[in-house]
Amino acid sequence: MTLGDVERAAILAALFTYSAGGRLRMPTFLDEIFSPEQIARDDDSCANWGRDWTRDRAPAPSAVVFPKTAEEVQALVRRAAETATALVPSGGRTGLSGGAVAANGEVVVSFDKMNRIVDFDATDRIARCQPGVVTGALQSFAEDRGLMYPVDFASSGSSHIGGNIATNAGGIKVIRYGLTRDWVTGLQVVTGAGELLKCNQGLTKNATGYDLRHLFVGSEGTLGFIVEAEMRLAKAAQPHRVMVLGVPQFPDLLKVLAAFQQEITLSAFEFFSQIALDKVRAHRDLAEPLSTPTNFYALLEFDDSEEDAAMAAFARVMEEGWVTDGVLSQSDAQAASLWQLREGISESIAIYTPYKNDLAVKVSALPEFLTKVTDCVQAAYPDYEVCWYGHIGDGNLHLNILKPAALSIEEFYANCGTISPQIFALVEAAGGSISAEHGVGTLKADYLQFSRSPEQIAVMRGLKSLFDPHGIMNPGKLLV
Amino acid sequence: MKVMVPVKRVVDYNVKVRVKPDGSGVDLNNVKMSVNPFCEIGIEEAVRLKEAGSATEVIAVAVGSTACQEQLRTCLALGADRAVLIETTDEVQPLGVARALAALQAKEEAGLVIFGKQSIDGDNCQTGQMFAALANMPQGTFASEVTIEGDKVKVIREVDGGLQTVQLSMPAVVSTDLRLNEPRYASLPNIMKAKKKPLDVHSPQDLGVDVAPTMEVLNVAPPAERAAGIIVDSVEALVDKLKNEAKVIS
Ligand SMILES: Cc1cc2nc3c(=O)[nH]c(=O)nc-3n(C[C@H](O)[C@H](O)[C@H](O)COP(=O)(O)OP(=O)(O)OC[C@H]3O[C@@H](n4cnc5c(N)ncnc54)[C@H](O)[C@@H]3O)c2cc1C
Repeated sequence: MTLGDVERAAILAALFTYSAGGRLRMPTFLDEIFSPEQIARDDDSCANWGRDWTRDRAPAPSAVVFPKTAEEVQALVRRAAETATALVPSGGRTGLSGGAVAANGEVVVSFDKMNRIVDFDATDRIARCQPGVVTGALQSFAEDRGLMYPVDFASSGSSHIGGNIATNAGGIKVIRYGLTRDWVTGLQVVTGAGELLKCNQGLTKNATGYDLRHLFVGSEGTLGFIVEAEMRLAKAAQPHRVMVLGVPQFPDLLKVLAAFQQEITLSAFEFFSQIALDKVRAHRDLAEPLSTPTNFYALLEFDDSEEDAAMAAFARVMEEGWVTDGVLSQSDAQAASLWQLREGISESIAIYTPYKNDLAVKVSALPEFLTKVTDCVQAAYPDYEVCWYGHIGDGNLHLNILKPAALSIEEFYANCGTISPQIFALVEAAGGSISAEHGVGTLKADYLQFSRSPEQIAVMRGLKSLFDPHGIMNPGKLLV
Repeated sequence: MKVMVPVKRVVDYNVKVRVKPDGSGVDLNNVKMSVNPFCEIGIEEAVRLKEAGSATEVIAVAVGSTACQEQLRTCLALGADRAVLIETTDEVQPLGVARALAALQAKEEAGLVIFGKQSIDGDNCQTGQMFAALANMPQGTFASEVTIEGDKVKVIREVDGGLQTVQLSMPAVVSTDLRLNEPRYASLPNIMKAKKKPLDVHSPQDLGVDVAPTMEVLNVAPPAERAAGIIVDSVEALVDKLKNEAKVIS
């Protein structure tokens, strides 16, 4: 430290250590736990690590720390509890619900420096990971061993295993391989009370009561920190094929899904609308997949070995008139470029600063639900473009309302905000979920009651106070 | 005019290949096989010539194992009219393939034979040229544009640092470069129709040629692994290392 830094630190400490109410604002105990290179307080770092993929709230943490061990995390939580310092766990910051945003002077706890795969057992097929292992790194690690980590989505090059667990991330292969939850065989967590819990330690069978591990999956950092995870790996995927089908009528998409599921095991069943296709093609300069454009498209993935059965299913859906045209990848390169049509959508509509909603209903309820939501938006704002896509095989729709160029962002979001309750009421009526896989965070915290009953929310609050008695774990997220 | 397009079955471009531990070759177990991307461009070009009325028939030809039928069916789905497999269990090498194709050309008398400029597995870049010599045909290699002009074909070639335009009298040989076209997707209705298109199988003996390998692969080794990077403390340290260790600046 140079003299200048010492002076600066002293002045800042004097200014911020005690603010109104005696709360510690600039936690000085951080310097007792962490070495200087593990703490950042500069504006750039605070802006960078203080938020996730969302942009609606300005990041304003008091500091960012980068623990290297579970012991450091534990020491941090204990001191934070004593000083009532709010902590925000931070992973790859690709979250879409504001879960990792620190907008109120919290200390951000980034797992960027806990990014090692600690060990791997080939018999158990379990990789023991620190929480900051990037999802894509675990995928490559598996691939190098002739195995696969099957949870995959467009942000897997940046997201962390810890963040994936905290949000129970899903993605594009849920229909076959399930959610992150299904691959977590053990968790080590530091609770908000500062206790280190080792949950399930990699066992397949363990009938000893409450499985605490699963409480932390999807907890969005509100109960404690995930400091280690044992992730099961799958056997390597077979060579596969990608099919894109043109489906003029939305309800027929589900008949197509059923027809294919009768014949083959699907590893993906995604859909997108013509508007979504137009945007992604314009953005990435991609070729039109089918010779005849239509209203909706389905993207299917399945093993090469099932090609004949898939062709039979295709013949049937053509005959029924549900599908008008389709293409089939003839190489992995083509499979990858067909996937771009789906995976590039989110990025291609970012320039329209869309109002996003990630909703789920039962697959059978999808057609009626989609129609009602579209009607609801169109009735209120007939000139807004509605762009639909999503993991339809899981009943998961991504609703994106695009901002007309002439409108200011503020006015647009305010307008969309007025229809949110109507959309969520439609979700509630359909028995669905206001957040399929992106979490509640701050973005949907005010709407939780549309998917959870008062009794359930009370139980959730009880759990929260049990694990986080001092209310220091990611306050203001999920439960408000 | 008939157009003949030889296609090779190769490890898919997107597959991360693994060298077998004994160095005898690449592990093909459970690995996706596809049409060599340059050959796929050849098929696309031939189909476009047919769609434009310059060609009357497109014939896809493969030399290799019975599994090549899969790639030939792809070509039929993409618009080839018929396919020929010259079936052999021998390892296929450029000279053998060129001989077999020259024998077939003697029967088919195609006006244009469109090769990929090279296959992405062996990177030989020889078969088209050997074929041109054996069949005594002019060749326009590394084509980025092909135009039929009466009984001649104009080929714009990608040469180092520029383009060269040549005119060939047909029958002629063309080999495709990457920018010639962007191949289409195989449509499902066409894949279904392709199942009914003719696919003839010949042996090299039928054609009176020998495709046995004349070259032996002694060893295959993966590229050397890169050493791990280091983080330096300051710009000065970086400049020092670039100067004195890496010697990339002075
Ligand atoms: C282009 C794009 C596509 C996406 N597609 C999908 C998709 O298909 N499916 C899907 O499910 N999601 C998707 N997402 C959302 C996002 O990638 C996932 O939610 C992901 O799991 C977040 O991981 P992260 O490491 O970035 O977490 P962050 O955003 O850093 O954090 C997410 C939450 O986890 C908490 N957290 C992080 N680390 C820990 C820890 N160690 N202990 C406790 N809590 C922690 C944070 O406090 C926060 O509440 C997408 C995002 C983008 C940008």
